[in-house]
Amino acid sequence: MTDEELRPAWSENFTPDAIQEMLAQGPFAKITPEWAWGNSTGKGIRVAVVDSGVEYDHPALGDCVRGGVVVEYDSKARDNYRIKADDKPMDVSGHGTACAGIIHSIAPEAEIYSVRVLGRNMGGRAIQFAAGLDWAIENNMQVVNLSLSTSLEEFFGLFHDLTDQAYFKNMSLISAVNNIPEPSYPSLFSSVISVAAHEGHDPFTYYYNPNPPVEFGAPGIDVEVAWNKKQYLVCTGNSFAAPHITGITALIRAKHPELTPFQVKTVLLACASNTKRQSK
Amino acid sequence: MSPDKDINEEKLSEQLQRLLISIEASGRAVLPKSNDLLLKSIVDAAARIFGAAAASILLVNEEQEALEFKVSTGEADHDLVGTMFPYDQGIAGYVFMTGQPIATSNVKEDKRFNQDFAKSTGYVPNSLLATPLISSDDRIIGVMEVLDKIDAQSFDIHDMDLMGLFAQQASMAIEQSQQIDSIEQALIRGLKRLAKEDKTQDSPDLKAALDHALIGENRASDLLELADLFNDISALGEAERKACLQVLNAFAEYRKSTYAPRRFSK
Repeated sequence: MTDEELRPAWSENFTPDAIQEMLAQGPFAKITPEWAWGNSTGKGIRVAVVDSGVEYDHPALGDCVRGGVVVEYDSKARDNYRIKADDKPMDVSGHGTACAGIIHSIAPEAEIYSVRVLGRNMGGRAIQFAAGLDWAIENNMQVVNLSLSTSLEEFFGLFHDLTDQAYFKNMSLISAVNNIPEPSYPSLFSSVISVAAHEGHDPFTYYYNPNPPVEFGAPGIDVEVAWNKKQYLVCTGNSFAAPHITGITALIRAKHPELTPFQVKTVLLACASNTKRQSK
Repeated sequence: MSPDKDINEEKLSEQLQRLLISIEASGRAVLPKSNDLLLKSIVDAAARIFGAAAASILLVNEEQEALEFKVSTGEADHDLVGTMFPYDQGIAGYVFMTGQPIATSNVKEDKRFNQDFAKSTGYVPNSLLATPLISSDDRIIGVMEVLDKIDAQSFDIHDMDLMGLFAQQASMAIEQSQQIDSIEQALIRGLKRLAKEDKTQDSPDLKAALDHALIGENRASDLLELADLFNDISALGEAERKACLQVLNAFAEYRKSTYAPRRFSK
């Protein structure tokens, strides 16, 4: 391996030295965190967590979990998957519960739906994931947390289509970028909000990165999270950064239901911790 | 297996040559013969590079639908080698199911978690970093873990980034060494066919030996079929071999250039 190849993946954009100052001028300078989400609790916003499931009765979640589905791989079914209702969702690993816990801690009155897309059949991994996103689109979720991705090129087209459908339905998709330095979908698409981890711990401190493809950096290093079987754990990964932005997005959308996905992204940029407001 | 004098030596050398050429053509590096030695050297290197007290590798066992604990170094319990963990259990299971690495610390704080950890790592670590081993066609072939960062509280995001790159190299090596096993199977198959074809002299000993060698290979991989097919076509002559390559190349190029959206039926 050469030094060039050893370059770290996406979180390098959010080290203290690498963070660049952004400018918000004119009308954009008037967009402040106070305006964007002050006093918002995310009330009534439907948030889907597409992941390993969500443990509905984990104490860290209050009773924010309103329902969910399990997407199973089935080679005999049309499109190779099958969806079952899951009114009292469980979590096969703990990861989805961790994401839901972060979202709930930021947007306590948002309604969380568990979309479990992980199972034992690895051949169906990407199709289950895509079908879970499809379910979220068809069932009018407003914000979707995707701390998963696929690097299978054959799914580029399907995910592109799904994320565009979501975008035109006014949904905000928040996607954790792969921790492994290779292209993965849908995090690299411009119709989603992509997130990597930075080293801070304040849930409302996040940064914008002007060098695509990763747009935002949020806390994801040594974060204390809820885990399945009523546990808590300290975890690191881009997976835990995305739910911070998901929570903030739920707050913004609850307070400003008229905003479109591209306006939400503009508000997120204007309120980023590395954005300087200049009134002129 | 003892070589049978009755086998047509010319045919055998032809067959071997063809196999060797196709191995060469596919650009496969020749690696240390023993998979176990390779895995051991990978975990030793991982522990050293990441300043970890221990490291281990679990590889997919498709028949058991489980991750099999293959090798460990440092404090981790060597008795665990061979133990199976279901795909959907614990941290390794999560990493396997999602293909995403994960780092945790403060592991000792939770009793229940301790037990899970003790079961899957051989001892209870303070910190852990687990990363998937991903093959070139995006299959997850296993999980690599480094345990207990020696000079720090936990593994950080840079460790995770580096471990991702390290795991890429490790996966490539493991995959290649597994393919070499497959190639050996192909070689045995080629010999078996040869033994069958040689109608002039029957060689039951060889057939029996080859049959024995093939036990356990119930799942013929597509890749092997393709290699066999290619070998058959190549045998027809140089022009046929070139035409076959051209067709495959054209198809590969065509697939690379088209990203037509696939849609779910509504």
